[in-house]
Amino acid sequence: MAKKTYDLLFKLLLIGDSGVGKTCILFRFSDDAFTTTFISTIGIDFKIKTVELRGKKIKLQIWDTAGQERFHTITTSYYRGAMGIMLVYDITNEKSFENIVKWLRNIDEHANEDVEKMILGNKCDMTDKRIVSKDRGEMIAREHSIRFMETSAKANINIERAFSELAEAILDKTAGKEPGDPIDRVMVDRRQQSNTTKSCCN
Amino acid sequence: MPNCSENYESEISDGKNIRSITCKFCNSVILTPTSASFTSFEFQLPLMRQSKTNEQNPESEAVSLFWSVGDMFTFQNVGFSNTVGNNKYLTCADCEAGPIGYHDIPSKISYVALTRVLHC
Repeated sequence: MAKKTYDLLFKLLLIGDSGVGKTCILFRFSDDAFTTTFISTIGIDFKIKTVELRGKKIKLQIWDTAGQERFHTITTSYYRGAMGIMLVYDITNEKSFENIVKWLRNIDEHANEDVEKMILGNKCDMTDKRIVSKDRGEMIAREHSIRFMETSAKANINIERAFSELAEAILDKTAGKEPGDPIDRVMVDRRQQSNTTKSCCN
Repeated sequence: MPNCSENYESEISDGKNIRSITCKFCNSVILTPTSASFTSFEFQLPLMRQSKTNEQNPESEAVSLFWSVGDMFTFQNVGFSNTVGNNKYLTCADCEAGPIGYHDIPSKISYVALTRVLHC
């Protein structure tokens, strides 16, 4: 049997209006007038990325809404098992920013209540087209007690950092869990852990 | 000097990859050393670039040298395309260049084509 090559597995979702650049994340292999890449024609389902945090090797499985947002059909099945959500708006598009509140409501309705969230103001390289100030992004994040960052998928600004921070926040919550553990055992572990914590604090 | 990534025999030891497997275009690490097994069979893999006039009937080439991976979470960084028949195609997770190989859904085994990646 092959050895396990990672310590933890986190399922993350990218959510937000169409055109905010969720699927453009690091898209460098672009089409031209006469050829198209085979992959861009069929589309990407999910990605696996590895980050190392506090000596732990963490696998991130990142899912995109793949255009479902256009039809407002993002429901419970899409959110199932998600441990982290990147909520993306476009700093050059007022509507996408206003809709963050709607997405937050959708998440409250359908996602696990302890899902870790982060708001990303994407396309921060397009300074001359900016409509949503960084202050407004920070404010809405503060109101909902969510982390916030401005990113540029195109210029590769803060993308890695955003994923690392989200993963770190999930890591804080899940310390002690092992991948593939049955749920009940995880809960037992958690109880034991909180007991231990209590006794050492007292 | 011979191109290191075309001398495939020297990339295999005990049936595994000796060096890291990376993207040809952006150097993103796809597999770490000794995490994949060498296997050989023929498969028609679509070309990375396709003519726009021919989207319904993508051009492919026969590929026969692969790194096989039994658990998708063995990958360091990789993208999975939407499903086409029994397969999902594999891409670079960072620049999305691909297909660099394919994932066989029934067996859950992923195959990375040696000719479409670098060994560094």
